[in-house]
This record gives sequence, structure tokens and C-alpha cells, in this order.
Amino acid sequence: MTRANTRPSDGIGRAAPYLLVLPSILFAFWIIGYPIYDMANMSLHAVNRFGKTGAFNDFANYSRLFSHKLFLDCLLRTLVWTVCVVGGTVLLSVPIALILNERFYGRTLARIIIMLPWAVSLTMTGIVWRWSFNGQFGMVNATLSSFGLQDTPVEWLATATTAFPILIAIGILVSIPFTVTVILGGLSSLQADIFEAAKIDGASGWQRFRHLTLPLIRPFLNIVLVLNFIYVFNSFPIIWVMTQGDPANSTDILVTWLYKLAFRYGELGVASALSIVMFLILLALTIVYAVLAMRNERRQA
Amino acid sequence: MENRTRKSILMWLLLSPLVVVILFPFAVMVSTAVKPRAEVLAYPPRWLPSEIRLQNFVDMWEATRLGPAVMNSLLVSVAATLLCLAIAIPAAYASSRMQFTGLKLYRQFLLVTQMLSPIVLVLGIFRLMASLGMVDKLPALVLAYVAFNLAFSVWMLQAYFQTIPKELEEAAKLDGASTLQRMRLIFLPLALPAIGITAVFVFIYCWNEFVLAMTLLRSPESNTLTIQTFSLVGGRYQVDWDHVMAATLVASVPVAVIFALLQRALVSGLTVGAVK
Repeated sequence: MTRANTRPSDGIGRAAPYLLVLPSILFAFWIIGYPIYDMANMSLHAVNRFGKTGAFNDFANYSRLFSHKLFLDCLLRTLVWTVCVVGGTVLLSVPIALILNERFYGRTLARIIIMLPWAVSLTMTGIVWRWSFNGQFGMVNATLSSFGLQDTPVEWLATATTAFPILIAIGILVSIPFTVTVILGGLSSLQADIFEAAKIDGASGWQRFRHLTLPLIRPFLNIVLVLNFIYVFNSFPIIWVMTQGDPANSTDILVTWLYKLAFRYGELGVASALSIVMFLILLALTIVYAVLAMRNERRQA
Repeated sequence: MENRTRKSILMWLLLSPLVVVILFPFAVMVSTAVKPRAEVLAYPPRWLPSEIRLQNFVDMWEATRLGPAVMNSLLVSVAATLLCLAIAIPAAYASSRMQFTGLKLYRQFLLVTQMLSPIVLVLGIFRLMASLGMVDKLPALVLAYVAFNLAFSVWMLQAYFQTIPKELEEAAKLDGASTLQRMRLIFLPLALPAIGITAVFVFIYCWNEFVLAMTLLRSPESNTLTIQTFSLVGGRYQVDWDHVMAATLVASVPVAVIFALLQRALVSGLTVGAVK
């Protein structure tokens, strides 16, 4: 091996990493970057319903969006939806992960069952639950009345007061598997000896959980909170399949309303303005996530 | 031993409400899918049908044109998975193995693209595909799916790649192997399990995706499985629920089985990716 031989490969070596990452960057700019630019552009101009852009219109799309009678409703409902689903998911997932971290007969089976909703697409989940909650022939009503828990069948999804809580419950159900997985990962990284030591020192189960487990899995909880917040904020199929935002827009959140604005009402200007607003919200969340993740990395290093 | 049995019973009792809720929709699917149609719309509904009518599946397959939809889903998912890996593997290799200026920026770029969901961009993507004349064409879906899985794939692969020891490659370098040779002959075989797990995740994403498929596909012939199944329910006055449940069962069971079989590998893979 001579020096003359390694030199040119060093030159290629310097360009190599850029050549290797370039395709992924170009691809993302093409399919993700350009649409963002296009919508930002559209949101600042007059747009007809066929998508032809006209003159700059003084943020008229944005002011129409913010003054729209459904905007505040949908924004608030998105907040309720996101906070309830994420909060419920994490509150349920911690004890579930603690259970699944114990050794007991059938643990593998239990883990598989808990992970199942993850494997089924949200669309299929939504379709099956929609049928299950059918007011006349659905098995939810049938099961409840066979246990004597209800006298008359309920039109669950056609009633504004029941539809949204049901959607939230389904949202929680499908978010549990991922959340449990990450928390389990955190639990399995804990060392057993400090727990033994605490036990010998007479700490109760609750004390061990409160003062040892919880602080130690805190980084994992942070990550799960932010990631779930982003997923749930963006969650579309369950609501679309089960209620399409009905009855009377009472289950619309921003994403379902956005879809209606863009593809049903042909309000392309307002829709693109809303897309950009949501993009900015997501960007802010991403920065929060990045800061949290970096803090984790520093702690581990 | 006695102690462990009691603990197991307690654990299962604690989990039982959730287990019931998780298994409930599967029970509904099976129950409705094998019922004679008259009993599907009988009041009050019952769990057990008078006969187990497997003919429903045959009827459903014909009536709902599920076969072509399965083919479309397979084509799109396989193509997107392969293209995604072809772009992500080199990128992950570079960002886990090589030091270069801009690496940090590249990682942040990945993070931002990972957070964006199709629904927020769907209007822009539709316009992009329309300008390319690709609306209602399956390659449009492939491109979009690749774009939304790239960040995740690169992220996950590079977390894995960092765990593969460098020494072998360094030895090969001393023996005069070029970068490409090292990657192909030494690195890729060791990275195969990680690549497999990433592929499964991308495949499942594509197989299950909803909003892009609903937006970019227009004619029934090009529908993927999720959209074809949804079209049996959405915007219809009368829904043949026995067919719909048979269809959801056919669509869900294969993926659920793959997932259950690979559960351990998938979960440990994801933890590596999530924590790094």
C-alpha cells in the first residue's frame, strides 16, 4: 500500500459523506419542501377554487381564517383532544409498562395483546369501532344492555355529547402501544441494585416508584409526551372514519377541518393559511423536542 | 412458585379491562364477518351467529373488488420500502460513520421533516402531483411515502449502525478496500437485521396510510386496500357491514400476525432508535 494510492481516495473520502446524504436531502426538498413553499405562497395571494394564484392580498387569507366562525371552535377542540388523548395515554401507559416489566406467567402474550392496536391501521380501527357503536345494531349497546347497564340503545356517534369523548377514548387506545414501548425501554435500562438497596432501607413500593422509578424514567416520559403531542395533534383517520367531524362540526379538529376546507369547500387560500399556521405550531413543538432530546443526550454522556 | 402464580393472576386481573377493550373490536370483526346478512341487521344484535358463514368472505372478495386493492397496496408498499431504503442506507451510513461539517445540521433537518405529517402538507402535495400529472397514479403515492419515511428510516438505521463495531471496516481499509467495497462486503451483511426491521416499519406505514391515498387516488381501480375498505363505509346510505368486517379482517390479520411474530425485534429496534 503506497501513499500515492491512498491520496485520491482521500479526496473522494471528503466528498463521500455529502454524496451519500445528498439524495435524501434532495428528495425531502422536492416532496416536502416545495409543497410548504407552494402553500406559503398561496396563503399570501388571492386564490380561486381551481388553485390559480392572483395578486398579493394583504394577508386576507389569514384574516379570513382567524375570523372564521369555526376556527376558534376547532382550535379549542384540537387542544382538548390533544391534551386529553396524550394525558390519558401517558397516565395509563406508566402503570401498564410497570406491570409488563414484572415477571409473570404469560407476560409475552400480554405484551403482544397490548401492542395489537399498533399493528392494525387507524382506518380499520375506526371502521370497526364505528360499527361497534352503531346505535341500532352495534355490539356496544348490545353488550351494555345484556349486562343491564343501559335500558335504551344510545346513538353514540350521532350525539354531540358522546361522540367526542368516544373519539378521545379510541385515540388513547391506539396511542398506548407506542407509549408503553418507549416507557418499557426506559424501565429495562434501570439497574436493579438501587431498587434492592432502597428495599433494604425500608422504602415502600410507592416510595420506590415516586422517588426512584419516576425520576429515572423522566427523560423517556418527556420524549413520549412531546412525540405523542405531535402525533395526536396531527391525527386524522380516526375522526374522519368515525364521524367526519359530525354531528354539525361538533367533532371537527383542525386537521379534519383543514381537509374539508381544501378538498370539499374549495377554500384553497384559507386552507393553505391554516396549513402554514399548523406547520408553525409543529415547528415550535419540534424545537421543544430537540431541546429535550439534547438534554437527554448530555445526561447520558 | 405459589407466589409467582398469585402474582400472575393479579397482573392479568389488572390488565384485564384493557385486554377486553383491545380484543373487543377483533371479536366484533369476527362475529359480524361470519354472520348471515339477515342476522347482521337483526335487533337486538347477538354475538353468536346461527351458522358460521365463511361464504361471506368469498362474496365479499367478489363484491368489493378487494383483490386489485390488495395488489395496489402491495405494489406501492414494496416499491416505497425499497426506494426508501435505497436512499436512507447511504445517508445513515454517512451520518453514523463519517465526520463531516454539516452533520449536526443534517440531523436537525431530519428531525424537522420527521415531525411533519402528511395531513398538514396534503394540499401542497396534491398540487405538486397535479403539476407533475401524477394524480391518480400509484407512483405519486410511492414518492410521497418515501418522503415521509426517510427521516425515520435514516434516524433508526444510524442508531443501529453506531452499534456495529468499526474495527472490521478499518482492517479492510488497511487491506486496500474502497469505501464502496467496505460498505457492500463488510458493513451491509452486519447491518441486515437493522435494515429488515426498518423495512417492516416502513412497509406497515405504507400499507396502513390513509390521507395521502384518499387524496391522491381518484378512481376505484387505483384504490389501495385502506381506501377501498373505507369506500365501502364512507358516504354510503346503506353499508353491507358483513362484507366490511370481512374486508377489515382480511386487511388487518396479516399485518397483525407479522407484528406479533416480530414483536420483540420491532420493539427493541424502536427503543434503540427512540433513545439515541
